[in-house]
Amino acid sequence: MLTLEGVTKRFGGLTAVRAVSLDVRRGDLLGIIGPNGAGKTTLFNVIAGYYRADGGRVVFEGRDVGGRPPHAICRLGLTRTFQLVKPFGNLSVADNVMIGALTRLGSVRAARLEAERVVETCGLAPHAGARARALPIGLRKRLEVARALATRPRLLLLDEVMAGLTPSELAGIVELIRRLHADGLTLIVIEHIMAAMMRLAERIVVLHHGEAIAEGTPGEVARDRRVIDAYLGEEFVLAQA
Amino acid sequence: MTSFPPRRWAALALLGVATLLPLVVRDAFVLDSLILILMWGALSAAWNVAGGYAGQVSLGHAAFFGIGAYSTALMTARFQQSPWLGLLLGVVLSIVAGGVIGYLSNRLRGPYFALSTIAFSQVLLILASRWRGFTAGSEGIPVPFRRGFWTLGLSHVAWVYVALGVALIYYGVEAWLESSRLGYQLAGVREDEDAAEALGIASRRLKIHAVTLSAAMTSVGGTLWAQYVGFVDPFYVFSIDLSIRFALNTIIGGMGTALGPFLGSILITSLETYLRATFSGLKTGFAGTYLVIYGTALILVVRFAPEGLTGLADRLGAWRARADA
Repeated sequence: MLTLEGVTKRFGGLTAVRAVSLDVRRGDLLGIIGPNGAGKTTLFNVIAGYYRADGGRVVFEGRDVGGRPPHAICRLGLTRTFQLVKPFGNLSVADNVMIGALTRLGSVRAARLEAERVVETCGLAPHAGARARALPIGLRKRLEVARALATRPRLLLLDEVMAGLTPSELAGIVELIRRLHADGLTLIVIEHIMAAMMRLAERIVVLHHGEAIAEGTPGEVARDRRVIDAYLGEEFVLAQA
Repeated sequence: MTSFPPRRWAALALLGVATLLPLVVRDAFVLDSLILILMWGALSAAWNVAGGYAGQVSLGHAAFFGIGAYSTALMTARFQQSPWLGLLLGVVLSIVAGGVIGYLSNRLRGPYFALSTIAFSQVLLILASRWRGFTAGSEGIPVPFRRGFWTLGLSHVAWVYVALGVALIYYGVEAWLESSRLGYQLAGVREDEDAAEALGIASRRLKIHAVTLSAAMTSVGGTLWAQYVGFVDPFYVFSIDLSIRFALNTIIGGMGTALGPFLGSILITSLETYLRATFSGLKTGFAGTYLVIYGTALILVVRFAPEGLTGLADRLGAWRARADA
């Protein structure tokens, strides 16, 4: 469904993403982990059209999407969320989601109905009338997901939607992601919280200094020597054992 | 962003007053004030399409106003054609100019966009004031008065209804924007462009559409103003003062609301007209009075009603509802 072939992104002398190749098949739930500055968000920005790759190709459902603007990529069925949430602050939660729904629907009335449904799915119904900027961070992360879902993506890129949440908020969003996946959505999830990722993802790619240093099931990745050295540390391995 | 019904009632009340006033009052001063309130209100509403709804805050909208004013002045005075042809020409030229400015707004955000719009209006000012052979330069152009609707030589009462018609159409455009797909998508672009793009909104194209529509609406206002006043002076029609007037009326009234620009215009224009009448004998000493008004009004709004008069009304309404409960 999504294929990266040797994707490279440089900022001046810094190579933020170096020759990353990966393959996402329909129905996958792929995790991308790595320490701060590993290039995870940069990779998302390249895939979603915010940055243009300096090398390599991004192919989504058979089409090379390199050089297409983000809105065109969204219309193809690939939607991303932002790590630093970007709600339409002065608008209500319902309107935020509705603007996402308007991408596929021509009428405001239809989009409003669709938004109601998505708001419900994401557990935001009690807050539908609230201004987005008034929401606490946990709900704003949910709003990111809801708004993206309203565009009816076939592939959803989630950028650290679990970061900074309380344990109960975390459980809620993990449950939401599981449900979306069970309903047939393909997802790529960037995450910092290793424990949550281990339970959630079927396959994990580890980025380090812009390079994909390991790929495999959570168990395989956690035992990988290079991953332990670069990111997890011995303590994590002992804790998991 | 769904409109608050009391605002529609307020708009209806204002419409009623403006419709009935010319039937009972024949005083030229009152009618002139009413015409100016409606014209500046409509022009601020035109600015609001770009500045309020799409978040493209321009400080150079006098450019489009001037284009409209000069189009009709040149069309009627130099080529002896109908002012309606001038109106049409102004709209076409403003659409082209609006496209250019709209394109700039894709490259430049926030203050840099505002600065580039000022520069654009200044370029047109220099062009109009220096190209003496064609525009008569800084002397300006008297717009010939020929009685009749097709020549836009109208009585004060007729002008009230022309201005009211335009105001009503512009209000309608914005009321539609508030509940349409385009309006919601523009709101998304205004609130966060990157997020709007992620959600499939072609933000660049939409910004150009909004600025272009706003430019065309402003140009129509410029044409009508020139026909009403009867004289086009480059240093007035392309002035930054004028651009600021459009922006401030809207900011004071409430950006991104259909009623806001008109409320702002009622407040500012009537204050200005009143002060001008009161201090007319001391003209030289009070030439800048209106700037003092703008400054004071702006400070008061920013301090007490940062979302403008409509926002203030909403808050008072909510406060009263709480008090009742």
